[in-house]
Amino acid sequence: MKKYICPICSFTYDEAVGIEEENIKRETKWEDIPSEWVCPLCATNRVDFLEEKSDIKLNEQVSFSKEDEANTLRVLSIEEMSALCSNLSKGCEKQYRDEEANLFKQLSEYFKNKGDFTKDATFSDLSNFLQKDLDTNYKNAKNVITKSNDRGALRALVWGEKVTRILSSVINRYDKKKNELLENTNIYVCEICGFVYIGEKAPKICPVCKVPNMKIAQVKRR
Amino acid sequence: MHAVRNIRLCTKDCLCLYVCPTGATDTESGQIDATKCISGCRACVDACPSHAIFLIPDEYPLQQKKTNDVEKALLTLSESKTRQEQLALTIIKTSDDPIVRQLAQALSMSNRLLAEDVLREAGYMLPQSQNVKDFLQSLLDTPQPEDFPIEIVEKLLNIL
Ligand code: SF4
Ligand code: SF4
Ligand SMILES: [Zn+2]
Ligand SMILES: [Zn+2]
Repeated sequence: MKKYICPICSFTYDEAVGIEEENIKRETKWEDIPSEWVCPLCATNRVDFLEEKSDIKLNEQVSFSKEDEANTLRVLSIEEMSALCSNLSKGCEKQYRDEEANLFKQLSEYFKNKGDFTKDATFSDLSNFLQKDLDTNYKNAKNVITKSNDRGALRALVWGEKVTRILSSVINRYDKKKNELLENTNIYVCEICGFVYIGEKAPKICPVCKVPNMKIAQVKRR
Repeated sequence: MHAVRNIRLCTKDCLCLYVCPTGATDTESGQIDATKCISGCRACVDACPSHAIFLIPDEYPLQQKKTNDVEKALLTLSESKTRQEQLALTIIKTSDDPIVRQLAQALSMSNRLLAEDVLREAGYMLPQSQNVKDFLQSLLDTPQPEDFPIEIVEKLLNIL
């Protein structure tokens, strides 16, 4: 019995187990699954699945380019300041400091309203950013961070890269199916890691960060 | 160390009210009065049948400094994620198609979380860290628009 793993979201098909919800019986061979079958979590095509080997490596190493060695860090953009403050607000909440949490939240909202809304924006613009993240930004970051042995940052990269792949796949699917993709179903976002899921019901646990689905929020249509 | 109550776990059995020697657990807000709590006492922590009370430090340790390389690599990502969020927010504002707005909403939420996560790891995990104080101070030291809420920043610098 073999296992096959989704390169996007790491969903694993185990021949020994099958998939009860989709009426795929136990001990169904991978070859016997119809070719139109897609990953139940992220709709990746069956052909793109990889056989699970113990030393599976989904991300090849690229050599690190020393683009710029300048030591000064740039100032944060307005949009980043908003994200920084909402993040700090969450941090204060975890420390039960409601007053500080609230102040950071207000600051975050202030910056959010100051964001630049004047540029044209389409899903394909987003797609370009996602591609660049996947092609270079995550690889560079992984190189630097692996060297420094910063496990927290590495964890953020592993989750972030998975979520980024999923976002990219969501936009590709939208590109093909247009509104039909969402018309008769729901869309969810994991409030911990940002995982996006399209389907009737949210998965029991988030496939990326493993949080139970009480932290996976449905995004309403308005 | 002082006690805090997680209100979502509290089942209102109120044992904490009976064991606290100072009355710190008895407040109208549901939160324990940190100024009355005796450091390290933990009587309420042990008494609570719902494990709703914890001790947390009064002061957090200094954060480990991130190397410049790491910080820069993470900031490249935070820039990309926040720009994607901004694009998604712009789509929400400009589209009149509810499905397009719904998808953009999901993308903006996801990108916000991704940006928060890399910023946290770039050295902004603890609200009390020097990085955060420097950031807040820099907001006061540079010119800001008229409607900028200076009082909020000053307040934060004061109480953090
Ligand atoms: S003892 Fe625990 S459950 Fe009971 S009121 Fe106090 S915090 Fe809530
Ligand atoms: S730790 Fe002791 S003093 Fe503090 S709230 Fe609990 S019982 Fe009261
Ligand atoms: Zn998948
Ligand atoms: Zn998640």
